[in-house]
Amino acid sequence: MPQDYDIAALIITLRLAATTTIILLIVGTPIAWWLANTRSRLRSTIEAIIALPLVLPPTVLGFYLLLAFSPDGPVGRAVSVVGLPSLAFSFTGLVLGSVIYSMPFVVQPLQNSFVSLGNRPLEVAATLGASAIDRFISVVLPLSKMGYLTAAVLGFAHTLGEFGVVLMIGGNIPGQTQVLSIAIYDHVEALEYGQAHWLAAGLLIGSFLVLLMVYGANRRIHLMKKA
Amino acid sequence: MIEVELHLQGSEFQLNAEFSVPGHGVTAVFGPSGCGKTTLLRAIAGLEPDAMGSARVNGKKWQTPHERLPVEARRVGLVFQHPSLFQHLTVEENLFYGAKRLENASKPFDLTELILILGIEKLLKRHPGSLSGGELQRVALGRALLAEPKLLLMDEPLSMLDQASRGILIQLLERFLQQIDIPVLYVTHSSEEVARLADNLVLLSGGRVTACGPTTTVLASLNSELSRSENAFSVLQGRISSKELPGLLCVECSDGIDLKVPASETMVANHYNLGRAVRLRIRARDVSICLERPQQSSILNILPAVIVEISTSSDSGSRVIKLDIAGMHILSKISDYSVQQLGFHTGQAVFAQIKSASLV
Repeated sequence: MPQDYDIAALIITLRLAATTTIILLIVGTPIAWWLANTRSRLRSTIEAIIALPLVLPPTVLGFYLLLAFSPDGPVGRAVSVVGLPSLAFSFTGLVLGSVIYSMPFVVQPLQNSFVSLGNRPLEVAATLGASAIDRFISVVLPLSKMGYLTAAVLGFAHTLGEFGVVLMIGGNIPGQTQVLSIAIYDHVEALEYGQAHWLAAGLLIGSFLVLLMVYGANRRIHLMKKA
Repeated sequence: MIEVELHLQGSEFQLNAEFSVPGHGVTAVFGPSGCGKTTLLRAIAGLEPDAMGSARVNGKKWQTPHERLPVEARRVGLVFQHPSLFQHLTVEENLFYGAKRLENASKPFDLTELILILGIEKLLKRHPGSLSGGELQRVALGRALLAEPKLLLMDEPLSMLDQASRGILIQLLERFLQQIDIPVLYVTHSSEEVARLADNLVLLSGGRVTACGPTTTVLASLNSELSRSENAFSVLQGRISSKELPGLLCVECSDGIDLKVPASETMVANHYNLGRAVRLRIRARDVSICLERPQQSSILNILPAVIVEISTSSDSGSRVIKLDIAGMHILSKISDYSVQQLGFHTGQAVFAQIKSASLV
């Protein structure tokens, strides 16, 4: 049976993934929009930076984040100047790390979706009197539904499976910063295979169900378009 | 008035368009593919951010060298070549997208009537994905009109349609565009569409306006590239004066000048009442010139004419001659050789043989 601190790890993990996903959808939208539409030379540079977590070992990212969060690091100093608690070994720190770590998984699907949308629907909406924000809400959002769904699922799932970055900056404090993937690792280390099974199998089934729902929704949207 | 002076420097293409046309009726923008027609239309709508210059529509400044009104504030109706309905909305929701955003709607159209005229009453609840090309364009036209535009821009709206739906839509446009109180700029490369729809004509070539004015005048000018091309044509306006000849309609184009044009029995029975105003299109290559009236010819329309102007010889060894027939101007395209042999000169009285004229 799972212990109390396993349940706590589950709740922390879900909270972390949900918070990260919501923040990423909000932050990622303007970034993806800019990348999809800009003619600036900076584009490739920004794209490369956002894609970095795809190739970097999570420990590298975690290491630099830890340095940045430390009392002498740039972020740590800024935080202490404003009078906020330190980010290292805190849930807020985990969220910040996850936002950076999962950024490409949200920005790229959104960017692709905006690119495939093309200019035409927006031009039509403009000639029909819709302002820029109106165009985004009435045309871009509904036509990018699939892009947002994909971005949300990938962002959520990727944060769920995070290990290296969390380990580096979160410190594995049960009930505070210990997430499921690390709890499983601890159980295996302690040869508590039974408990590891509860968590691992739970994660497996849960992830499968989420993906099943997404692909089901995907299929329904496609069928609707054809109808 | 619609006054346009717009410049755009593309990577391989330059637009330098300057023209003004009346602020009512249909103005066709005519020219070969790639001459910048679509770019010009987009620049007028405000969709080309790099376009410099000025555009004024019936006194309202859409763009000046210092300032540009954003697209959404221009009240411009735009019907694209590819029908561009919003895929996530039903036909009905598409129709009202612009209308819903009007601040002070004057509702110049009776909604039920407009929907009936466009023939889209059965489509309202459907999604665009299930509509044919012709249906999509009719909905797109309705959507643009319900937003009560100050200027309606149409970019080759028929070019993507099959022959049958094109026939239906052009008839609709012919009746409808004359009724509405909105000026229309209509981009096309079809002489038939020009002949049927356009009151005014802007000729565009290589990004420049080469001629601009009332359709009949522009078409009769020998200075334009169009008049020297293989496709040169004239448009005459007239009224049906007699339906008595079998398979033919008589069209009175000028006092006492009747042209006989072929027409099918059903068309004559259903469509053409005596006195109805019609337009005729006559291709320059279908008009030949004789010094004396030919006798016993199979050609029905042989009319006395006066040579007004003779163009210089073209590369292909032909010349265009502008003829005056009782005050109307039509073009004739004949070989340079014939001009030399028969000694044609301006002011000469001749006979024009019109091999075919078609009702458009």
